[in-house]
Amino acid sequence: MPDPTVLDLSRWQFAVTIAFHMTFPAITVGLSIFLAVVYALHLRTRKPVYLQIFRFWKRIFALGFALGVVSGTVITFEFGLNWGKFAHATGPIIGPIIGMEVVTAFFLEAGFIGIMLYGDGRVSERVMMVSTSLVALGTILSTTWIISANSWMQTPSGYRVVDGQFVPTSWWEAIFSPSFGWRFPHMLLGVLITAAWLVAGIGAYYLRHGRATEFGRRTLSLSLGVVTLLLPAQLWIGDQVAARYVIPDQPAKFQALEGNWDSDNTGYLLLVVPDQQAERNRVEVGVPRLGSWIAKDLSGETATPGLKETPPQLRPDMLTTFYGFRAMFYASMVMFAAAFVGVVLRLRGRLYSSPRYHRFLVWLTPIGIVAIIGGWVTAEAGRQPWVVFGEMRTADGVSDIAPGSVVATFAAFTLTYLTLLVVWVVYVVRSVRRGPESDWPDGELGSDGDDPRRDAEVTA
Amino acid sequence: MTDLAILGWYSVIALCLVMYVVLDGYDLGLGILTLGDTDERRRRENVDLVATAWDGNESWIILLGVSLWAGLPGAYAVALPALYLPVIVMLLAVIARGVAVEAAAHGTVVPRSWGLVFGLGSLVAAVTQGLIMGGLLSGVRVEDGEFAGGTWDFLTPFSLLTAAATVALYVTAAAAVLQVKDGYVARPRVARAAATLTVALVAACAVVFFAWEDTWPRPGGAQLVVATVLALVGAAAMVLLMLRCWADRGPQPVVLLTIAEVAGMTGVLVYLHPVVVPPELTLPEVAAPPSSIGFLLVGVGLNIPLVLFYNWYAHHVFRGKYVPRTASELPEGVSPASEAVRPRGSEVR
Repeated sequence: MPDPTVLDLSRWQFAVTIAFHMTFPAITVGLSIFLAVVYALHLRTRKPVYLQIFRFWKRIFALGFALGVVSGTVITFEFGLNWGKFAHATGPIIGPIIGMEVVTAFFLEAGFIGIMLYGDGRVSERVMMVSTSLVALGTILSTTWIISANSWMQTPSGYRVVDGQFVPTSWWEAIFSPSFGWRFPHMLLGVLITAAWLVAGIGAYYLRHGRATEFGRRTLSLSLGVVTLLLPAQLWIGDQVAARYVIPDQPAKFQALEGNWDSDNTGYLLLVVPDQQAERNRVEVGVPRLGSWIAKDLSGETATPGLKETPPQLRPDMLTTFYGFRAMFYASMVMFAAAFVGVVLRLRGRLYSSPRYHRFLVWLTPIGIVAIIGGWVTAEAGRQPWVVFGEMRTADGVSDIAPGSVVATFAAFTLTYLTLLVVWVVYVVRSVRRGPESDWPDGELGSDGDDPRRDAEVTA
Repeated sequence: MTDLAILGWYSVIALCLVMYVVLDGYDLGLGILTLGDTDERRRRENVDLVATAWDGNESWIILLGVSLWAGLPGAYAVALPALYLPVIVMLLAVIARGVAVEAAAHGTVVPRSWGLVFGLGSLVAAVTQGLIMGGLLSGVRVEDGEFAGGTWDFLTPFSLLTAAATVALYVTAAAAVLQVKDGYVARPRVARAAATLTVALVAACAVVFFAWEDTWPRPGGAQLVVATVLALVGAAAMVLLMLRCWADRGPQPVVLLTIAEVAGMTGVLVYLHPVVVPPELTLPEVAAPPSSIGFLLVGVGLNIPLVLFYNWYAHHVFRGKYVPRTASELPEGVSPASEAVRPRGSEVR
């Protein structure tokens, strides 16, 4: 049994590094699709504003993608560094799945992102369109494989255990494990919605300040449209995730995210301060009967099962699971309300002229990220004490390394990542303040050949 | 059959290693060269040359890590805890330089601070990669299939030597790439330094070669012959590189250095086989079960040609000589890196 401090420190290190990493795919998957759509609109309509949008957003996308790549490299190696025993046991199943991610998705993105970012004017517009679409396709494929690997850890299938190693017996079942079918669309919609709020928030910023108004209108309209279409679907799928996989497969996760210890509460808890040792909540604020209504029993009699139904040694931490879920759920409720107001304003023709709504949207810019990280905390903290649910405990997956090294590197990562977060935020804020390039006269956009300066240099 | 499949996967891993050293080697080297450049234009050039390619180049180390994990989980689970500190420091350095490149590439000037982060990040990444290689070749203490050594075991005189050699290799590779790419900014300093660098590199490699104390059974027969031939090919390429080729501004240095890198690394891997984590862990002991290896060969292996194509295509699009630009010469909305290199005499559409 390894040192318990190494386990805790490794878990914290992993939590910090993966939460930081997750922030960037959460933005860039959706943005890459947005960019492909905008470039297609540029080719179709030839309106300068679409190229302006494309060029502005691809720069924010570029740094986000770079941060995703470098922090993702860290994750790959962390499996071996801090979780050597986990890596050894699950390598035969999760390794090939991540390997597929790298060769089918990651190289596709990394290969074509250079052309997408710097190809303007040196490759044909068709190559630009293809490259941009391939980057978007890569990010979707990437999401598919990553969710597949994680879903296998949540609902392992298609394997048998030989000498402490998971040996694949059916790749089909391993890749498409039972929870994959619901978790994948949940995640994909999540990242699309997250990027849409980011785009909407910045579009609203320009409208509010009366700058680049054409840019602001187009991006706001597009992104709010996306959100309005996807949010209802996301709420339905989120519900399915709970009903089809969390409640039947991982009851302890559900019990913890409801915040109940005993199984007699028909209400819905808003706030708790749980005492994991004493098996009760020190503080508990809730709405009576709401829990039963959510469970679709309007009589108010249906109680939510509590964590005491699970033996103590198999219980996840209630605090993180409860608040992870609340962060996701409340954020999605706020988004839903904001999207609804947006629809009302649009119908009244006031979408582009309501400063208060625009200010509200600016505040909502990062809300999708909050929801996604909350969702992941629920999924991962709720799976504890298992790393491979029902098969391998997290405590049995950690490497035997010196606690000192973990402390030092954990501190180094936290410091680096905080710096990077600041760099990223400053970069985005600066780009936004500077604004998209001023509107150009028609004709100079898209056809670079008219530019005499270039011809002069090339022939020089 | 299984043995052959494992060997097949082992060659995929070897390919990742070689591709990584060849591709990311030169862009790390360009970063290291930035440290010596006080001239803003040279910083700009290095950042521009790296910006269009580093994502693709760096992908190989990710594939290397994942291929090791998936195909040889026994080795991955031992080697990484053993090399914990250098690997993490390398990761931190890689993060810093990647962000510096991307943050600097979209502006019109490279601020000193980002230039410094780019340079130091590249240097630290190169040093730690050398330490990792040397630490691994020095041998890792293993008991019951698990790492049983100490945190600082990787730090040996030998690993310090390999670190120095790695830096020399990457910088030389960068000089060779500049020979092809640099069309406009005068680089007499790099050209002069390249000759000295090559001598330093050859010396470093020779010292590493003779200082390497392998404590495990040496291979015999055909294997030893192949390893020796590869080593000789690598040495010949290096000597040729040292003797000439820096004089005219052609692609010969890149070609020769690549031959040396490929032959040298393949030689070491052939010599080591079947040992994966020296001194004891061998390929069959650490390999994943056959069902995983089969999937890897078909699923991942068949994608390798595509991956090579993406790499080639990305470099192909940005082929040509470097053309420095001032901010006013750039069309609006275009990053300097987009305009940085142009095939000679190509017409702009």
